[in-house]
Amino acid sequence: MADRIVVTSFGVFSALGLEKEVQMEALTGSRSGLQHPRYLNTVHAPEFLMGEVPMSDSDLADFLGLPVGENGYTRTTLLALVAMRELLKDVDKSLLADHQFAFINANTVGGMCSVENMYMDFIGEESEGPFTKYIDTLDCAESTQNVASYFGLKPWMATLSTACSSSANAIILGERLIRQGIVQRAICGGCDAMSRFTVNGFLSLKNVDKEPCKPFDQNRSGLNLGEGAGYLMLERESDAIARGAKIIAVLSGYCNSNDAYHPTAPSPDGAGAYRTMNKALRKAGLEPAQIGYINAHGTATINNDAAEGLAIQRLFGANPPLFSSTKPYTGHTLAAAGAIEAIFSIWGMNDGLAYPNLNFRIPMEELEITPVQTLQSGLEIKHVLSNSFGFGGNNVSLIFSKA
Amino acid sequence: MMKPVYISSACAITPQFSFNPAEFLQPLVSSSDGKLFAAEPDYRQYINPVAIRRMSRLMKMGISSGMRALELAGIKQPDAIITGTGLGSMTDMEHFLKDMIRLNEETLNPTYFIQSTYNSVNGWLAMQTKCTGYNQTFVNRGLSLELSLLDAQLLLQEDEDVHNVLVGAFDEMTPDYFIVKGKVDYWKKSIPASKDVLKYSDTPGTIGGEGTAFFVVSDKPENFVCTIAEVQVDLQPDKELIKTMIRELLQRHSMEPTDIDVLVTGMNGDSQWQPFYDEAVSDFPDSTAVAGFKHLTGEYPTAAGFAFWLATQLFSHQEIPQDVLIKGTSTKSIRNILIINHYILNTVSLSLLRK
Repeated sequence: MADRIVVTSFGVFSALGLEKEVQMEALTGSRSGLQHPRYLNTVHAPEFLMGEVPMSDSDLADFLGLPVGENGYTRTTLLALVAMRELLKDVDKSLLADHQFAFINANTVGGMCSVENMYMDFIGEESEGPFTKYIDTLDCAESTQNVASYFGLKPWMATLSTACSSSANAIILGERLIRQGIVQRAICGGCDAMSRFTVNGFLSLKNVDKEPCKPFDQNRSGLNLGEGAGYLMLERESDAIARGAKIIAVLSGYCNSNDAYHPTAPSPDGAGAYRTMNKALRKAGLEPAQIGYINAHGTATINNDAAEGLAIQRLFGANPPLFSSTKPYTGHTLAAAGAIEAIFSIWGMNDGLAYPNLNFRIPMEELEITPVQTLQSGLEIKHVLSNSFGFGGNNVSLIFSKA
Repeated sequence: MMKPVYISSACAITPQFSFNPAEFLQPLVSSSDGKLFAAEPDYRQYINPVAIRRMSRLMKMGISSGMRALELAGIKQPDAIITGTGLGSMTDMEHFLKDMIRLNEETLNPTYFIQSTYNSVNGWLAMQTKCTGYNQTFVNRGLSLELSLLDAQLLLQEDEDVHNVLVGAFDEMTPDYFIVKGKVDYWKKSIPASKDVLKYSDTPGTIGGEGTAFFVVSDKPENFVCTIAEVQVDLQPDKELIKTMIRELLQRHSMEPTDIDVLVTGMNGDSQWQPFYDEAVSDFPDSTAVAGFKHLTGEYPTAAGFAFWLATQLFSHQEIPQDVLIKGTSTKSIRNILIINHYILNTVSLSLLRK
């Protein structure tokens, strides 16, 4: 039998905090991390709730032992560094020797969070100033290269950007690189700091809710944005056993597929989401009934939840597995969402929990199914499915199984 | 070792007449202001005219070259679409960002925001070709195209339902971008004619450019232009390491330096990187033809796309135009091409293509 690819370490940094215990307390205690942003300098701050990581850039730099101030590190990278440090806490660095491992990172707007505040200097008359440290930070690979160099690593590197499914795609790529023997281990995930650019982008699309978002509710009216970073370490089961590593979960199936329908909207009947989940199940060799929990993409936009809900209903029937969206806790962390929610799903599976889908009141007219409303515990969950669907029709489903 | 994969078609929109050329790189285009812009074709053949009106130029360029590459390969629908871009649509990003600053975050047009997302070209191509298969976007500076090609190779190894992958890359030059990167010394201070930039490799800086290049990469050796024997990527290799990398790559394919007919190099006239290229080519015999292309395209993160396109043309024409020849001659048959490309933020790739 082919070697299984397993998860042996993780690091998540979200509006809920950094340590697993703290974030689990929030997820099981129905405590949302959404609030009016304190650090993002946007005119919309008093109006909108966001999942902002509760630390300033200076706090983050200080926490990481970096010089405070214009240090050339963007918030995107700072978030990534904190999550990565958490992951590496229990990892022997010698496992990450040259070319034996890959670092697959993902984000949607690179260092826009810094660039947007300096852009007029970028294109202005002055050619000298602190802003020059940030000129090469706009592109997405900036965080990837800075994370590697901060930790003194020389991995095989790649950076992906497929909107809201970016880091879920990073996990898939890591799995494939290990399976093909290109690398022995891979650290995969993504990072995104909130930026005014992104906030205003979603506002211009008119799909942001001023209230805490209400996934799968009849009266849902959009998403809340968030930020964060999440990374998982993948390796072959045999390698993990050989070094005595604790196996946290098995990555048993996945699918990357495109909706091929519209630049920003899913096919209304959920055909794309259905295809993606169905293929992931087939890849894992599982029947729909074997899935114990679905962490839905569940952005609480009109379109997503209708399409995703219909797809879940079609694939799993009128009595689907327990499902919920954790976006009311963290906000939509965009490129980081796939990895963060994959880890939340794994925690739930291992602890026998299904998190409540906050703010759900009224079932959707077009659906017979409803999400988890109160914390479900003592469950026997063997397999979890985590969905990430993005602009551009970029859909990903991941399936993790108990070790 | 991976199964070989094949390039069955190539299409590029570049500052040169590459899209639908009557003659191979003729007439040559040059500029005198330190940057080169692509010669844009008539897009109406490849994109719905209604959609064209709202589309930014990089999207039009990317989508058209993708559709043309499919057409040249005789394929209506690829099995997967993989793209690479260093910067995505800069025009859209700049537009949305400057509007946001100017309008103090009110009444913004979402079109620029949507088009600025890095995966907008492959998303659109999937929609237009109804391709629901694997869809991916690499955004890794100077390796974005190479990683896309590697991903296509992997996909063709592992998924028996995948036979034709549309792989492409796109990046654009904008007036803003030229100013911004000028502040971190990307460009030459004293600007030569772009076609002569390689003659000034004793001074720092290069010229800026842009382009798109799309390829159909297939696992079937039917109507193919060449084989992708290997694509290798690395970060920050020094002069010694690049020689070792080349030596080992050739060994893996049981080849000698003399087996390489053309070295297509990414020399860009920048004195900082010229020693790197000099060292890289130093193990090859004097008779090996050395070609350059960045005097025709300018520098950009996915300039390697032009190199791959050029390689397919060299295989087809079996001759090296004088305008790209830096050293050696163009007499013997062209069977093996090694592309060596370096990009400003310390990335390098080696790609071995064989007829």
